[in-house]
Amino acid sequence: MNKLIHAARGVFLWVDDRLHLTKLYESTAGHHVPQSSGSWFYVFGSATLLCFMIQIATGILLAMVYVPSAAEAYTTLEYLTFHQYLGWFLRGVHYWGSNFMVGIMLLHMTQVFLFGAYKYPREITWITGVVLMVLTLGLAFTGQVMRFDEDAYWGLGIGVAIMGRVPLLGEQLVNMMLGGPIIASDTLSRFFALHVFVLPGGILALVSIHLRMVLTKGINEYPQPGMLVRRESYDKEYAAIIKKEGVPFFPKAISKDLVAAAVVIIGILACATFFGPKGPLGPPNPLQIDTLPRPDFYFLWIFAIAALMPDWMESVALLGGPVIIGIILFALPFFNGTGEKSWRRRPIAVLTVILTYVSLGLLTYLGHTSPWSPDMNAWRSAHTPKKFLEGRSPLELQGSLVIQSMQCRNCHAIDGIGGQRGPDLADVGARLTKDQLVRQVIQGGGNMPAYGKNLTPDQVDAVVAYMVSLRTPGVAAARDSSQPGRPPME
Amino acid sequence: MIRTILLLVSLFALGGCDWMPGKPNPDSKWREASETSDFAILYRQNCLGCHGIGQVVSGSIAMDNPTYLSVVPREVLLNVISNGVPSTAMPGFSAAVGGTLTGEQIEILTNGILAKKPAAQPSPLPPYAADPGDPARGATVFAASCASCHGNTGDGGEKAGSVINPAYLDLVSNQYLRTVVIAGRPDLGCPDFTARTPGKPLSNEEVADVTAWLISNRRNEFGKPHAPAQPPLP
Ligand code: HEC
Ligand code: HEC
Ligand code: HEC
Repeated sequence: MNKLIHAARGVFLWVDDRLHLTKLYESTAGHHVPQSSGSWFYVFGSATLLCFMIQIATGILLAMVYVPSAAEAYTTLEYLTFHQYLGWFLRGVHYWGSNFMVGIMLLHMTQVFLFGAYKYPREITWITGVVLMVLTLGLAFTGQVMRFDEDAYWGLGIGVAIMGRVPLLGEQLVNMMLGGPIIASDTLSRFFALHVFVLPGGILALVSIHLRMVLTKGINEYPQPGMLVRRESYDKEYAAIIKKEGVPFFPKAISKDLVAAAVVIIGILACATFFGPKGPLGPPNPLQIDTLPRPDFYFLWIFAIAALMPDWMESVALLGGPVIIGIILFALPFFNGTGEKSWRRRPIAVLTVILTYVSLGLLTYLGHTSPWSPDMNAWRSAHTPKKFLEGRSPLELQGSLVIQSMQCRNCHAIDGIGGQRGPDLADVGARLTKDQLVRQVIQGGGNMPAYGKNLTPDQVDAVVAYMVSLRTPGVAAARDSSQPGRPPME
Repeated sequence: MIRTILLLVSLFALGGCDWMPGKPNPDSKWREASETSDFAILYRQNCLGCHGIGQVVSGSIAMDNPTYLSVVPREVLLNVISNGVPSTAMPGFSAAVGGTLTGEQIEILTNGILAKKPAAQPSPLPPYAADPGDPARGATVFAASCASCHGNTGDGGEKAGSVINPAYLDLVSNQYLRTVVIAGRPDLGCPDFTARTPGKPLSNEEVADVTAWLISNRRNEFGKPHAPAQPPLP
């Protein structure tokens, strides 16, 4: 017995001597961290990493079925979604995993920013983090392309359009990205390689540096207001903190991370269970214009910017914006590397975060709801609620039909039914006078085509008569306020 | 607590609960538009915006109007759906005229519409199409059967609007006027040919005459190309 134990010990010592396992343990799981960092605010980093691991696991499983060729991708996705047992669930977990990963990564970044953790001596930790963010968004974008349906096609189209605007290099960049001037079969192979090899590989490499820095430079202590970071003294102060109240990362500090991990896993599984995967919608088809494409939520805000901005500003903002944001993020630890860490004493930092979140939230909301997309089928499918037809004269009824046949409904809903590109017409008769309505129809303007040449005078009469009648019963037609004496125009 | 939740979730995930709410419904699977062969879907996607059915009212005559279905011949439905009615808002749906429906789908629509034809039909039924009659006699018919709602001159009354507005008449075909004289717009309150004077349906001649009177109010010849709209108002 003793002999056996002795032999086993020998084997262990040999392995340990060759692999440095105990040293590895001491320097990683066993390394000491400030007790104050065992806080709920410090769980987001590990949770992001967890999401990434879930993505790798589910991604490998998906890759066993998915064929990254333009001809077969869609079929294999359909197979996964509708035929493969629990294939839909796998897709759901991968889809929600990516949403969670982006979301939690943002929280992590926010926390690091607010707690001043990017300051001396953790500049490289921050910079690798910023690169990790870019890679993660890259993964999300290329992942959206893997779902090779009309949405993906369209999202890619927008990305390409942005690339194409880069001065001088635009064309080459597009060629490089797509494997040719247009989205074709080479495109999917390229994005697949990016999505499963290049970007995850990059993330693994950077995560190891990122974690290495966390180990060598230590985890940021929970900042106390008034405790300033000075290049000369910080290292000594940190060493003192560790000496006084350091605890081993495992098992002390990790407990909250484990709880957070459970929450994240449950969250992802629950979302996959209840909401399922996204798409696939119809197969990508450049000829098919009657789609309602929408990017995944983390890109909705970019979409909103592109949609809301006047054309001339678009190029500048879409190309200049990322560069400026990138420069600011990279430079942050250098121009603001010392001093106060606690957010309680950093009003500008707090304001920046609030402003960023509010504007991202607002833009996302706009991208989600604002009237931006026509519905190419509404002219024949969107009906008009009865109360907007009852009591109308035969001419007005014809007007309602011209609104259908001239495809106005593709852009204009009536009481919420129809396309959402222009304003809802349900009460347009109370808002605009007859003259204004005639002018709008004939001249168009503000993203609405001019119909002057395409409508006969009869059709204009009918449409305008109908729109004048569009108002809640009892509400007067809009009057021309410049001529108060004139009766309402009917 | 956490352990129980974890256990439940993994049971859900691994226990083969393929019924979970997030599971995509096979019906949600994308289909080529030309593969749709369900009447209700075809109708909803292509016709509902302009022709009501069931509870839905639309600008033009409802395709389940019982009197209309009693008179309209199958060939007319096929022809109108395929080719549309020129110079009106009714588009053609066959590929030959740039539409998106296949011949089969047009058959499905026609059959689906005709399937709603009522078992009992009013008699004597006027023919779906006929030459217009005498407008002068039509004026009398109008005064007797229509003026109570559409006004003595036809220019609109208490209960209904003008049927002689020149712009209106420019936008509808002669046949459509006849169709409405026969089948009415019960969805909007215009009775069919049997119900305008209770107990005394319009005769074939009266239908033709009042149609002729409506047509005689046209200012322009129907279908003649019009000048485009004038430049915008000041
Ligand atoms: C390509 C989409 C599109 C189509 C098709 C379209 N519109 Fe518009 N329409 C718009 C937009 C966008 C606006 C808002 C214009 C602005 O910002 O000034 C608008 C504005 C209007 C307005 C003013 C509404 C208001 O509340 O200010 C009217 C009236 C209107 N359209 C009628 C029509 C009619 C009638 C047709 C068909 C003959 C039509 N539109 C076709 C996009 C469209
Ligand atoms: C954009 C509006 C619009 C759409 C969409 C539309 N119609 Fe029509 N339809 C009209 C109008 C307007 C008329 C009357 C034309 C006329 O004046 O003769 C009409 C006439 C008809 C008629 C002949 C009525 C008669 O006088 O006997 C039939 C049948 C018909 N439509 C069927 C359909 C079917 C089926 C669909 C769907 C595939 C459809 N329509 C889609 C506007 C539309
Ligand atoms: C009980 C009242 C009533 C009577 C009687 C009546 N109508 Fe109507 N009619 C209506 C109503 C209501 C409408 C819907 C449009 C409106 O409100 O103006 C209508 C609409 C119409 C339309 C337009 C339909 C369309 O789809 O474009 C025509 C044409 C018409 N009537 C002709 C006639 C003729 C011809 C007669 C007599 C043979 C007649 N009506 C008798 C109430 C009536």
